[in-house]
Amino acid sequence: MISSYTVGIYPRSEELIEATRKIAKNLPLLYLKEKKKYIAMQEKAKLGYICDPLLDWDDIYRPFSKLKSVKLEALNRIYETNTFYRRLSFVGPLNDAGNIIKSNLAISLLPKNRAVCVPDPYTFADAHFSKNYKKDEFPKTIAKMLRREINNLARSGFQIIQLLAPSIAYNPKVDFGLVYDTLAIITRGLKAKTILHLYFGDVSDKIEKLLELPVSGLGFDITSTPTSSIKKHSFAGKSLAVGLINSYNTKLEDSQESISKLNSIISNTKPHETYVTTNFDLQYLPKDFAAKKILRLGEIARGVKSA
Amino acid sequence: MRKYFPTQEIGSLKKPSWLLNVVKSPDVSKKDKSKARDEAALLNIKTLEDLGLDIVYDGEVRRVEMYEEPVRYVKGFEFSGRVRSWDNKYYNKARVTGEVGYKENFHGEEFKFIKENAKREIKVPVTGAYTLADWSYNEYYKSKEDLVLVLAKKVVRPLVQDLVKQGAKIIQIDEPAATTHPSEMEIFRESINESVRGVNAKIVVHACFSGNDYEALAPQMLEIRAQQYTLEFANRDTWNLGVNEKERKGYHVLKLFKEYGFKGEIGIGVTDVHVDKIETPRLIRDRIIYSAKALGDPSKIYVNPDCGLRTRTRTVAFEKLKAMVEGATMARVAIST
Repeated sequence: MISSYTVGIYPRSEELIEATRKIAKNLPLLYLKEKKKYIAMQEKAKLGYICDPLLDWDDIYRPFSKLKSVKLEALNRIYETNTFYRRLSFVGPLNDAGNIIKSNLAISLLPKNRAVCVPDPYTFADAHFSKNYKKDEFPKTIAKMLRREINNLARSGFQIIQLLAPSIAYNPKVDFGLVYDTLAIITRGLKAKTILHLYFGDVSDKIEKLLELPVSGLGFDITSTPTSSIKKHSFAGKSLAVGLINSYNTKLEDSQESISKLNSIISNTKPHETYVTTNFDLQYLPKDFAAKKILRLGEIARGVKSA
Repeated sequence: MRKYFPTQEIGSLKKPSWLLNVVKSPDVSKKDKSKARDEAALLNIKTLEDLGLDIVYDGEVRRVEMYEEPVRYVKGFEFSGRVRSWDNKYYNKARVTGEVGYKENFHGEEFKFIKENAKREIKVPVTGAYTLADWSYNEYYKSKEDLVLVLAKKVVRPLVQDLVKQGAKIIQIDEPAATTHPSEMEIFRESINESVRGVNAKIVVHACFSGNDYEALAPQMLEIRAQQYTLEFANRDTWNLGVNEKERKGYHVLKLFKEYGFKGEIGIGVTDVHVDKIETPRLIRDRIIYSAKALGDPSKIYVNPDCGLRTRTRTVAFEKLKAMVEGATMARVAIST
């Protein structure tokens, strides 16, 4: 058996979608009710780490729009998907950050084995903009802001911090020096584990550099980075998260085939520890399909031999 | 000789609220709902003609939405539920669970009505194979490319052929997903070519803007069997008057099309469909004049909004179209003097 968790935002139910459109008075209660159900579903699936389904987040960056010096801007496509997020413009100091993510989670509903996702600083800076900072200064400012957030999350018992890094995967040219520096700001002296999740792009040619980054481990979307590329590398001393559950297709993964795939990856890469995960946010699926995938994720994790 | 800068719309308009009330009401008979749809279509056609557009349709008033409408009538698809577009906006996404196939001309009645009632030229919008595949879950075909090509050959082509048999002379293949995957432009090219193989009509391709500013599309344009591309420019242009590079930065890519040797027509988007602010006719005039110069041949320029106007209120949409027609008239005068 290996450990497991989901990544990112979950899909809303039909009832919740309708409620968000009517600005229903009972909306906060509906969010809570549905969050409880999803958390129970993760527990039923015996996932190693349980996440808040983030149903009240319109996109992964939206909570930061509550900062005084941040303004909501135009819609922007999430890489090559048919889903959009709102760009944020940072117009001043970020002194009021530190409790943004935590205050937007239903922490009281989560068990002790909890994980949380946070955009990685390079991706965050790539997705938004500021006229107040110079080129490299902006990602570093974002990293410092996120560090305050992560410190607070770690103090609240989050054992795994999933750093969502699609821009590192998607962009053909990446300044790995900058990525290293920003991640170092986030992870130096941090007790919680940090897994850098790479999706929306094939990182086959970047794995060597990724392995040098100051994070506890790497997470791969195997629909975009072939397992053959991952298997070429040793993950000794690192954690490996295999994003095997595809959040971009309703087709349910075959358990036996998936277990064999994972066993083969583990025997080739020999990671310090292995997780099986969704490749990215389950919100790209309708709720019923997401639910089936959560249960399948747990089933697969239980069937894999640990390293 | 045809006049310079013919004006056209791209497709959808917001449905009138009275129509939505009628079609959603359980107390209204099927016959009366159908009558209401006819009235709404007629209203749109007449309004577009009265505004002075040269090429019209009915604002896609009978269609649910550009993806869901065709998928309802294609074999092999099953709706799976709603998936987020942004915030609390969702679309009904389907799974491909079997062999896809064409059942019937699902735009036949719509086109027949427009043909009987429009006085101007008609351009029929049809959702393209690439977008249908890209916006669906593929559980059946081995690859996305397989799904795209089978949709092109077995669904879009027979539909286009049936519309042409009915008398359609201009078909616009709507492909908002086309430029979102720059690495798949060859699949897109084959998808259009297979969709229109053997079709005797003018083919227009509508592709929305994506991050790479049509740079991935440009090299393919010569090999795609389309006579015109209707593209999005206005929403990244400035609102300043002028025909210089600085003011018209949204239209620079036209020069790239010329460099690649593209000799077809471009329907330039001159109105931003994402904002309520109405472009002035003078701004539209300048966008047209710059585009004519950049492409090197004014006879190849058609004038349209960036995309369908359904996200704007009807009042805003019609004001934008009115300004567009006036701007085109001003550009014709400017270019002839």
